[in-house]
Amino acid sequence: MEVLVVSIDTVDTHRKMHERGLARMVPGGALYPMISDTDGAIGSLFGVYDAAEKVERRSHFLIDPEGTIQATETVAAPIGRNVAEILRQLRALQHHRATGDFMPCGWQPGRVTLTEANDNVTETRKIWDDWKPRNAF
Amino acid sequence: MNPLVGDRAPDFTAKAFYRGKEETLRLSTYRGRWVALLFYPGDFTTV
Repeated sequence: MEVLVVSIDTVDTHRKMHERGLARMVPGGALYPMISDTDGAIGSLFGVYDAAEKVERRSHFLIDPEGTIQATETVAAPIGRNVAEILRQLRALQHHRATGDFMPCGWQPGRVTLTEANDNVTETRKIWDDWKPRNAF
Repeated sequence: MNPLVGDRAPDFTAKAFYRGKEETLRLSTYRGRWVALLFYPGDFTTV
């Protein structure tokens, strides 16, 4: 997976953020491109630029290899991103593409998936044969 | 103009800081790979 990050900061501010901040927290600092969207044009394309505050809203878009958006989330600025959730969404999307399985509520890698055998038409197995409500958590 | 799940991601060209220097990149050049596009309010903010 490629990671691209975007804010309204200039390239020079990104450089300073990498050198003075990120490189001190993590060996190597920012290992991904830091896009400079100073006028919010890119954020506006994706519907996340906050024109009143002149910043991007905190959000993610997972884009598949064909260029189609498969997942997106936007959260208020004081709340940091949940990277584990973004990775979970990516793994679920990749697993579905590879197998055709469905990832039920609360799915984590290694947990039970549902298949067409569970669907309303064929119903070889009831959903609750394979998935319990406690699996939601 | 808000793209939703199932829509093609809008293409764009942008300047970026990457590997120590300024680069120009284009989203569509990443076709063939999954992309996580992460927007955030700004550098040097608390969160």
